[in-house]
Amino acid sequence: MDDKIKMKVQELLQSGKIKGFLGLRERHGQVGPYLFTDGDDLEGLVVGDRFKPGDSRYPLNKQLMKITRGDPSGCYGVLVRGCDERGLKTLFGSGQIKSEQVVPVGIACPQDLADACECLKPYPDERVAGEAAEPRSFATVAKVEAMELDERFRLWLAEFSKCIKCYGCRNICPMCYCSECTLENKDFGDIGSLPAENPVFHLTRAIHMAGRCIDCGLCNEVCPADIPLRTLYKKIADIVEEEFHCRPGYGSPETPPGLNIRGEELKH
Amino acid sequence: MEYRTVLTTCTYCGCGCGLYLEVMDGRLVGTIPCKTNPVNEGKLCVKGWNVHEFVQSPKRLTRPLLRKNRELTPVSWDEALDFTAARLREIKEAHGSDSIAFLASAKVTNEENYLIQKFARAAVGTNNVDHCARL
Amino acid sequence: MTNSIGELEDADCIVVIGSNTTSSHPLVATRIFRAKQKGAKVVVADPRRIQLVHKADLHVQHNLGTDVALINGIMHVILARGWHNQAFVDERTEGFEEFRKVMEQYTPERVSEITGVSVDDICTIADWYAHARAGSLVYCMGITQHTTGVDNVKSLANLSMLTGHIGRESTGVNPLRGQNNVQGACDMGGLPNVYPGYQAVNVPANQEKFEAAWNGKLSDKVGLTIPGMLEGLAEGSVRALFVVGENPMMSDPDIHHVEKALRNAELLVVQDIFLTPTTAFAHVVLPGASFAEKDGTFTNTERRVQRVRRAIAPVGESRADWEIIQDLSNRFGYPMEYDSPAAILEEVSRLTPSYGGITFERLEGDGLCWPCPTPDHPGTKFLHQGRFSRGLGLFHAIEYKPPAEVVDADYPFWLTTGRIHVHYHTGTMTRNSPSLEKEMPEGFLEMNPEDALALGVKRGDAVKVASRRGEMVIRVDVTTRIRRGTVFVPFHFIESCANILTNPAYDPIAKIPEYKVCAVALQKAA
Repeated sequence: MDDKIKMKVQELLQSGKIKGFLGLRERHGQVGPYLFTDGDDLEGLVVGDRFKPGDSRYPLNKQLMKITRGDPSGCYGVLVRGCDERGLKTLFGSGQIKSEQVVPVGIACPQDLADACECLKPYPDERVAGEAAEPRSFATVAKVEAMELDERFRLWLAEFSKCIKCYGCRNICPMCYCSECTLENKDFGDIGSLPAENPVFHLTRAIHMAGRCIDCGLCNEVCPADIPLRTLYKKIADIVEEEFHCRPGYGSPETPPGLNIRGEELKH
Repeated sequence: MEYRTVLTTCTYCGCGCGLYLEVMDGRLVGTIPCKTNPVNEGKLCVKGWNVHEFVQSPKRLTRPLLRKNRELTPVSWDEALDFTAARLREIKEAHGSDSIAFLASAKVTNEENYLIQKFARAAVGTNNVDHCARL
Repeated sequence: MTNSIGELEDADCIVVIGSNTTSSHPLVATRIFRAKQKGAKVVVADPRRIQLVHKADLHVQHNLGTDVALINGIMHVILARGWHNQAFVDERTEGFEEFRKVMEQYTPERVSEITGVSVDDICTIADWYAHARAGSLVYCMGITQHTTGVDNVKSLANLSMLTGHIGRESTGVNPLRGQNNVQGACDMGGLPNVYPGYQAVNVPANQEKFEAAWNGKLSDKVGLTIPGMLEGLAEGSVRALFVVGENPMMSDPDIHHVEKALRNAELLVVQDIFLTPTTAFAHVVLPGASFAEKDGTFTNTERRVQRVRRAIAPVGESRADWEIIQDLSNRFGYPMEYDSPAAILEEVSRLTPSYGGITFERLEGDGLCWPCPTPDHPGTKFLHQGRFSRGLGLFHAIEYKPPAEVVDADYPFWLTTGRIHVHYHTGTMTRNSPSLEKEMPEGFLEMNPEDALALGVKRGDAVKVASRRGEMVIRVDVTTRIRRGTVFVPFHFIESCANILTNPAYDPIAKIPEYKVCAVALQKAA
């Protein structure tokens, strides 16, 4: 799988079509994000399946936002899985990244990763490597929904009580790009408290994920308290689909009516 | 535009989390937790997430300072180090090695701590070396 | 730590005592949460209702400074009910009989009287910990920053040996080191009594070894600890103080006393990355480079040596601390010619048995936990397997001693100090980090609602807090996190510097100050 990606990246870099490829590299014995700029030196390029599939994924789109803003005329390649592609579409739609600045290099996730992620579309539309795995439905959401209402509430209160307020869920999120964050607004919660004000902090963030969350699951993986945030945001996405008949990143890049809030407007 | 990620270790608490510093055109622009580090497995606390921020604070010390007429005054490295070396020698000669004491640091690297205590013990000749292990 | 951080996940009983883990060591707290998820019993012994209490099976709020009594009480119950690990005691330890005799005095009833913890709770902790498959003790400065700090640590060691919860995976006595490289600073000989690798300066063989390696005459006289240095400055036997990356004007107890000492210095050199309250008294300030601007290694709380890598050039004219020291040493007349931190580490590993196999090349990947004596040694995940460093584990028969200062009519409140999650130590770095400063720009004093009511103050009001050393004004946070009669102040804020109040009473052996207990008076500020 790595070889196919490597060949594609080499071709893109050597043709001059892209100035750099934002992917993953194993260096110093660890896997991390890396901007490759030399087609002849792709040593260590990996796709993020170190010990198990998808165990070393990073918010590459978030870094891509920084890179394309730092070099507004440059075109860059980026490694995308199904979720990353959904993210790109949504970021294009909200004007955070210009589509002409990006060449996605797609990879489909293996079935066990699709299973673990409960992913509705574990592959990008255009892919260089990997076979499309079967989609999976949200079993974790169904499990929580099977609980009584007060049992559910207790579950979330208990989970949120572990929050060490690292803001990692927001910081890692490739779809969080507001210049001012409600989570830091004193009017919305007790800023300095630990745990983060329960449940205000996490419910505020969950609501902000409506129309944004592309279900990459990085928030879940980054949480030092192992709070199952992904389950919460999956449910939010279900509600959005019921109400607005769309899921961010599926289908066309256009966002649905009612959720058509652009980053620029959010500043005001 | 140059964009690099540099793998390093957090400088705050004793956990020793692995992280990548994001560098754009020679400036730190962000921190990303290292997914494969055995300590933090891709997680960080609020301090770790913001560990790049203080580095480029406008309040950083950028030049050696020497007290002249009661004011700390910017001077060259040569002047600061010559002054320090000369004063340490004078004090050692006048009052003995044990009249000089050193605080090593839980913030600097192992190699730097090694040199500090070596300087104290072998150059100045005192075992008056301690640091904030208890604080 | 005797054991590694990751192992905590698989302990089935974790006793956290004197560690506000989610604030001070968040990524260790992760493992405690996971252990709990896997079914472990979690006990928190802390005077405050810290965040971990939400996940604890049992929380006990023992009186400040009564740790030895509490631990002895737990051991009394274990012994009285025959729950101790006799095989481990027989094979691996000595001093048991004398220890047992002292423990007999600590009946749960007497201990309950001293600590304020119920007899039932003492027995429950004894039961859970003694019967665990893998019991782990986790502690931090809440155990060590007492006049009985060494006694407290020895008592925890007694408890682990009594039950055999040491020398195995997921067990152990696990101090959480507060600073990123406090372990490394100790390992490298940043202490007055030892060369690198804890080789005592007053053992002639060690002295000869280092004299040969360093090509010079060395002193066999144990040096001064920080309190001794400050005392020396105050009375004139110490004339010069060279400070690297520390801030005693905030970090040491009884700041007024520290100020007197520093003002008396003939030469105060401070090497740091920011101006600090300490540089206010310096004759020379040398700008060091931050961790992001240099190469090297840090050693974390689980003894893992990891690489630090240069990401950007030193800011302004600042220089890496090793370069500054080397340059200074050459000017002083003692030649040093290292071309890189890697070259320094080569010398360290030649002279330090526990770092013998550690090189920059080998640290690629996950780093190495010392002891790592040889180039092919894989490092050591947990200590004391099959044998203690000294051979047999020594039981210490330790009696409870009250803290140096206790409340009275003039100073009727207990004060304890500690960290909060956003800030770090004296705030030199975190308070220059806009995101962190925004999250918590001001210090506070935690007070129980009943005390607040009695004093007539509400959240946000200012109070004057005074001890025998000094006084200050600070805003109040009214919270049930703290119990009645005790108040808490974080020590990160110069504007409300907790160490104006703290007591410079020290553990006689470790010379650690009693930051965790002193007596204060409170009154509503105008």
